[in-house]
Formats: sequence, structure tokens, C-alpha cells
Amino acid sequence: MSQKNSNKDNGVSRREFLKIGGAVAAGLQVGAVAGAGLAAGKDPSSLTGWQHLGDNTQFVNRARLVAREMPIKKVGSQRRPEMWESPFGRQSLIMRDMMQYRRMLGSVNAGDERKDGLGSKPSLPEKETSPETTGAIQPDNKRMNFPPPEAFSEPMLTYYRDNPDHYELDRYRIEEIMPKRREDEAKYGDYYTLINAWSDSWETGERITEPPEESDFKIGRRRRIGKPVPFKSKTHAAELIKKVTHHFGASMVGITTIEPEWCYNYGLRGSSERGSYEVPKHWKYVIAFGVPHQWEQVNSNPSCGTSFDAYSRISIAARRLETFIKSLGYPARRHSPMDGYDLIAVPYLVKAGLGEQGRHGIVITPETGSNFRAAFVTTSLPMEIDQPIEFGVKEFCERCKICAEICPSGSISFAKNNEGMNTRGYRHWEINRTSCYNFWMQSMGGLGCRLCLIACPYSRKNNWVHRLTRNIDKADPTGLTTRGLTAMQKKLFEAPEAHEFLPPPDGHFANFREAPDWLQVRKYLDIDVIEPKAGDK
Amino acid sequence: MITDLVILAFVVGLLTVPVIIGMIEWFRHFKLRMTWWKWLLSAIWYLMLLFLVLAAFTFIGEGEPVAGWKLLGSSAVIIVILGAGLVRILLAGRENSQEE
Ligand code: SF4
Ligand code: SF4
Repeated sequence: MSQKNSNKDNGVSRREFLKIGGAVAAGLQVGAVAGAGLAAGKDPSSLTGWQHLGDNTQFVNRARLVAREMPIKKVGSQRRPEMWESPFGRQSLIMRDMMQYRRMLGSVNAGDERKDGLGSKPSLPEKETSPETTGAIQPDNKRMNFPPPEAFSEPMLTYYRDNPDHYELDRYRIEEIMPKRREDEAKYGDYYTLINAWSDSWETGERITEPPEESDFKIGRRRRIGKPVPFKSKTHAAELIKKVTHHFGASMVGITTIEPEWCYNYGLRGSSERGSYEVPKHWKYVIAFGVPHQWEQVNSNPSCGTSFDAYSRISIAARRLETFIKSLGYPARRHSPMDGYDLIAVPYLVKAGLGEQGRHGIVITPETGSNFRAAFVTTSLPMEIDQPIEFGVKEFCERCKICAEICPSGSISFAKNNEGMNTRGYRHWEINRTSCYNFWMQSMGGLGCRLCLIACPYSRKNNWVHRLTRNIDKADPTGLTTRGLTAMQKKLFEAPEAHEFLPPPDGHFANFREAPDWLQVRKYLDIDVIEPKAGDK
Repeated sequence: MITDLVILAFVVGLLTVPVIIGMIEWFRHFKLRMTWWKWLLSAIWYLMLLFLVLAAFTFIGEGEPVAGWKLLGSSAVIIVILGAGLVRILLAGRENSQEE
């Protein structure tokens, strides 16, 4: 009897132990999974920021993604972009005509304006130098009337006649946005002290002062390049160039061939001619490469972010690569944010297989999404070229529209797809660059906006959840995953409404996410600041 | 490199053994007649719970706490409803065995 009881006692206690132990283990397991989730989310290696250097950064095997055909379609007669089509490019023309108009009205001392104006901040990229950013239009802080369309001379006269909406946007910027911006800067500027310092610190500039026939064949100002060193094969050349480009600081690299229609039709750097030019014969290959922005700062766009961190890094990589190729005896020219471009970025990035173009007009890479800034080197060095890739962006963009919804200036199309769009003979997504640029001038902090870049679901971190969902989406031909993901993105990942990004009183200079502590003025600086609030007068 | 993530994954793996042993004991305790598909359903439910907790806390870790808590809240409702359905299926087995 006692033997039986003791067995039962032993059995019960052992069983109870296993039951309680199992329940505790299950609790611990759920806790450990939560901890693992936190660790996976925080893992610095999942940041898609610039700190990912080295050639293992480009971790997606593009050979598996090669597109069936070139994603950018020809839909008419192709031509190169003119200077006045870009809101940056036409600044100098607007400036010229405004000066003329003001002189005609006899109300201003044009000599003083020239002295203070364009070029007073030479570190801005050449094609982004504008009378607004240099303070040329309004040194005296007075309201300025934009000349009527007929007061402009060619080519602006014809351009504004054909594009009255751009005339209106340019007029709105100069008459309304710029004076308000100066008021906002006077009132809230101190609140952005740190982001302005951070942004300025990346602006390094060095101009190309000779035409390609000279500068592309020289190292520095004097040394001519030597005899070209032969490579074992084009494949070897491509492999070496990609390796060193990664080591020079680029996260992703692709190689393609030159397309003359994708070179600007004006302003060849180093040339005394500002107009059209023949694309140099030695520009046969284009090496396209880029880096993402610093992670925390790019999440605080538009008013606590900057473009210049990635601009600076990739421009330095471009200088290094240009010199490397020249040292091997091949002519080379860099095209980068800090030194200027003679070619258009997006089509070359697509053709070189670095990514696909999104609804917001910029390129989405499979590694860092839209968080990507590019530079290029044109050269005659023969290399094996890459192919365009497809990883579902086209279909995703047709359903997603998050960038169009968040864009504070309404510059991004809500159209179902890009059918019917025709930019200089090509069909691709096109945004209203003038209204976009106008918002740049409305926001505070480092020049620009970049909201569409960071709100894009492809720009999420590179951790297991986002990798898994992207891979499932790629493999699902029904589009159901895309629908589910965009719905979840909108429900789960909240962001301010588009109008909140505007200056007060309509908005409060909202940011996509809170600025990191190292950009918070109140934490580090002993100065009085006014925090922008919606409704502020 | 051994990161926090690797260590936690190791801990989760180790804990699987006592969890399975504990489950067997609890099923015995409730006199449940477990078939292979009941085991499969139970395992799927438990893995779903772990997966959703992992996903929600990954969002919290990556600096998207609102997304994390919203996912946890909505998935808790789904997990409870599915859990209740699973319990009914498992208990149905016990009632049958008692009738026999
Ligand atoms: S940069 Fe800003 S304003 Fe321009 S298109 Fe993107 S979201 Fe709109
Ligand atoms: S936010 Fe959506 S629609 Fe816009 S580019 Fe990204 S994926 Fe495409």
C-alpha cells in the first residue's frame, strides 16, 4: 500500500513538474521570441544606411531578376533634355530675364544683385544652383513681382507659352514661397540649427573646369593619362571596376553603355559653350553606382533630413573611381551630385540593372529601396555590361500610391499606370518637378524634401519581416500580396498627413519620423527656439 | 559574430524540448486523444503565436512601435479566436473517449 502511494506521489510530482515546466518553458519561449524580434529589429546590420560598405552590400543576385525587356519604352521621337525643362536648369534663365525686367523698370541696382547672387555659394551642385538658394532674388527681403510671361525672352518665352502651369508654379515660388520662406527662416531657423550644420558639412565642391577632351584625359590639372593598360577580358575589367567602386565607398554598382539621348543638351561642364554639344566619342561605357542616406536622418525628412550626406559620399567615390580609371590609361569623367552631371541619372540606373523606376520618378533598388543616391563615371574602358532587372516594382507601384498620398506638393501622379506618359520620347513615371521644387523651398532644414523616398515601402529596413514580405510579393502573380501589404503599410506604419509637412499655419513642418536626438536642438544647444506649430501666424 | 539575436534563437530552440514534453503531459492531464492532425493543428497555432510575437517585436525594435503594438493587438484577437476553436476540436476528442 505505502509502496503504491509513494509511486503515485512520485508519478504525480514528476508529471506536475513536467506540466508546470512545460508551461513555464512556453512562456519563456514567447518571451525569448519577443526578445529575438526586438534584437532583429534593432540589428544595425539591417539598417539600409551608408554604413553598409564593402562588396557584400549588393546582396541581391541580379542574374535571377533580369528583365524580359528594357523597362523604359520608346513611345515617340527621342530628344535630349533642354536646360529650361528642369526647374534647376532654368534658374539662370529666369534670373537673366528678371534682371532685364527689373532694369527695364529701372527699380534696382542690378550690379549689386549680381555680386551677391548666383554663384555666391559655389558648393551647390551646378544644375541645382538657383537664385533662390543663393539668395539672389531678394537680398533686401522685399516682395518681388515675377515678370509677366511676355516679358521673358527666348527660350523662356516659348517654354512658358507651352507650359503655363510651370509659369504659374515659378511665379508662385518667387512671389509667394520665397518671401514666406525668409519669414519662416527668421522665425524658426534656430530650431533647425543642427540639421543645417549637418547638411552644410557634407557640401564639398570642386568644379570641372575643362571640356571632356581635356579634363577626361588628365589626372589633376597637369598630368596626362598614360597608355591604356590591357585587361584580360571585359569580364575581368568589369569585375575589378566593381570591386574597387565598392571599396571607394559605393554600396551598389552596375555597368552599361552610353545613350546620347540620356545626356543633357546643354551646359557641358568645363566647356565655354553653354548650349548643345556633341556627346564625346570616348564616353562609351557608364559605370553607375550609389549609396543610401544615413538611416536615422533620412527617416526625419523633409525638415530634419538632407541630401548632402549621400551626395557627398558618392561624389567622393566618383572622384576616386575617375582617378583610378585614368591611372590605368583610360579617359574618364565623373558625374556626381557635388561636381555636376552631364547625363540623366534614372535611365542609366535602370539600364545598368541597379533597380526599377518607381511612381515617384526615382529608382528603387532591391537592397535599399528608394533610399539611394547615384553618381556615374563615363569612360572608354571596355567592360562587360549588366542587364536591367525586374522585381515587381511596376506592379507594386500601380496599386500602392503611398508616395502620391504623402507628397505635400501633390507632385506625384495618382494615375493607375504610366500609360500615355511621354517624356522626350520615352514612357516612364514622371513627377511635376516644378511643384516638387517649390515644396523644397517651403520646407526647413537641409535643402529638399525626400519624403517620397522614405515613405516608400521598399525603403523599410532590411530585416527578416520586410525581406520575407518582399519575397512573397515577388512570387505572387495574383497581386493579392501587394494589396495586403499596401493595406498593412497604410494601417500599421502611420505617418503625418500630407498637409502637416507644410509650413505654418497650414502645417507644422512635420517630419516622417521624429528626428534623432543628435539633431534635436533643445537637447544640446543653449539657445531660444520657436517650435513650429500648426496654426502659427 | 554572435549577436543577441543568435543567442535568443538558441534559447528559443532549447526551450522547444520542455515545451513539447509539457504539452504531452497537459494533453494526458485533460485525457485528450491526440491524433497526428490534432498535433499538427496545435503546432500550427503555437507557431503562429510565436511568429506574430516575433514580427510585432521586430517592428518595435526597428523604431516603429505603433506598428508593433497594432500588430500585436490585432493578432491577439485572431490568436484567441483560433485558440478557442482549437480547444473545442481537442476537447471533442475527449468527450468521445468518455462516451466509449
Ligand atoms: S520630394 Fe517631396 S515634394 Fe517632391 S515629389 Fe517627393 S514627396 Fe513630393
Ligand atoms: S511609395 Fe509605393 S507607389 Fe510610390 S514608388 Fe514606392 S512602391 Fe511605388
